[in-house]
Amino acid sequence: MISEPLRQALDLGVFWEYRQVLFGGLAFNAGIFVCAACLAFAIGLLAAILRNRRGRVSRGLGALYVETFRNAPDYVMLVWVHLVLPIMIGLLIGKRLEFPPFLSAVIALGLVYSGYLAETIRAGLQAIPRGNLEAGRAVGMSEFLILRRIALPQALRRMMPEILNNLVSLFKATTIVSLIAVPDLMYRVSMVTQQEMQPLPLYTGSALTYFVVVFCVASLARLIGERWRRSVLM
Amino acid sequence: MGGNWERLVWNQREALLAGFGVTLECCAYAFGGAILGGLVLCLARLYVPWLRPLAIVLIEFFRGTPIFVQLVWVNYVWPEVLGWPTSFFAAAWTALALQSSGYLAETFRAGIEGVPRGHREAAMAVGMSRPQIFRRIVTPQMLIASAPALINQFTVIVKSSTLVSVITVPDLMAQALRIVNRTYEPIEILTATAFIYIGFIFAVSTLANMGAARLRRKLGLAD
Repeated sequence: MISEPLRQALDLGVFWEYRQVLFGGLAFNAGIFVCAACLAFAIGLLAAILRNRRGRVSRGLGALYVETFRNAPDYVMLVWVHLVLPIMIGLLIGKRLEFPPFLSAVIALGLVYSGYLAETIRAGLQAIPRGNLEAGRAVGMSEFLILRRIALPQALRRMMPEILNNLVSLFKATTIVSLIAVPDLMYRVSMVTQQEMQPLPLYTGSALTYFVVVFCVASLARLIGERWRRSVLM
Repeated sequence: MGGNWERLVWNQREALLAGFGVTLECCAYAFGGAILGGLVLCLARLYVPWLRPLAIVLIEFFRGTPIFVQLVWVNYVWPEVLGWPTSFFAAAWTALALQSSGYLAETFRAGIEGVPRGHREAAMAVGMSRPQIFRRIVTPQMLIASAPALINQFTVIVKSSTLVSVITVPDLMAQALRIVNRTYEPIEILTATAFIYIGFIFAVSTLANMGAARLRRKLGLAD
């Protein structure tokens, strides 16, 4: 009743056999995700603040940065950071450089997703009631103090659900790092496929694995987001 | 450095343009497929009770699996099990379409559910049949409400299309990588490729969003 290829695809025995190796690859996805998320958040915060200021130059710079990296395809940035950036930096400091793939992946994904996070944080900053900021200025707070104690806490609290969505997207994006030889799950699946010559169960298994992981993480993010919205913003 | 740009990028423009053409073609098919798939999934979820669980599972699956994983899965597993797709290009645009159809299904659902009840009731009071209501009242409002998300998904498709070079579709990224592998000089060609993608995506999304805003203003809908 079930065709032979379908039965092969659903017979995840091979996948289960290699589960230690394969799931170990997920650790690389997680590691790159954590590092890239920190980088993206740090730069995105700076870019959002820059873009929100009153000066035209800083706004322009912020906008240029955000639009460049928000519209950049992940894979193009990945290859660019891995192949071009070491050469450019090497030319500057006069040495020959080569980035380890993990580093390239973190930098590339961090840059791209800093663009998304910057937009999200900026939306949060713009939604703050103006009275709050004026009150801060009336009491004599410096711009930096206003940012730190009034603007950013409100902005981050308001945009937390959307920030979580951005982070889930970042996690999904970490699957491409196998293309610069980071030994994540997809990389290990392709290696095992070459050895075992059974692509159907292995690729189906990896699709299911990623689906389960992302579904759990995304559902968690959605739940946290909803409860956050209800308890913090109401 | 100027000479390098000319030699490595300008002289290769035929290959790069050909690659860009393949990218556009793939994205066009994928976008069309995504809208179609999104509509089917959305309507199945809302109006066909016995298909609802399947629709929800499919929507979550297409949204939750990373695009690269879907690409590889459609390319290597589907031909064996389903007999189709038969070409790498077809696998490419199918995977891209599937991914976006999940998002668009949810977008269309929000658009349909966002149509005020009063409109439907007024249409029924005037004597329109249900298909007529859907076609003349719900669909236009749903499309206009979904316009920003549709534009956004198109940019997502273009950005994800850079990965189809992995399954040997000769798109712009594949052409650029081929030049890099041949000449071992990655700076000019990869920077140029990055700018082409960024510029194109920026231009499309800006123009499309301006057009959508204009349309909304023209139709008198609140922004």
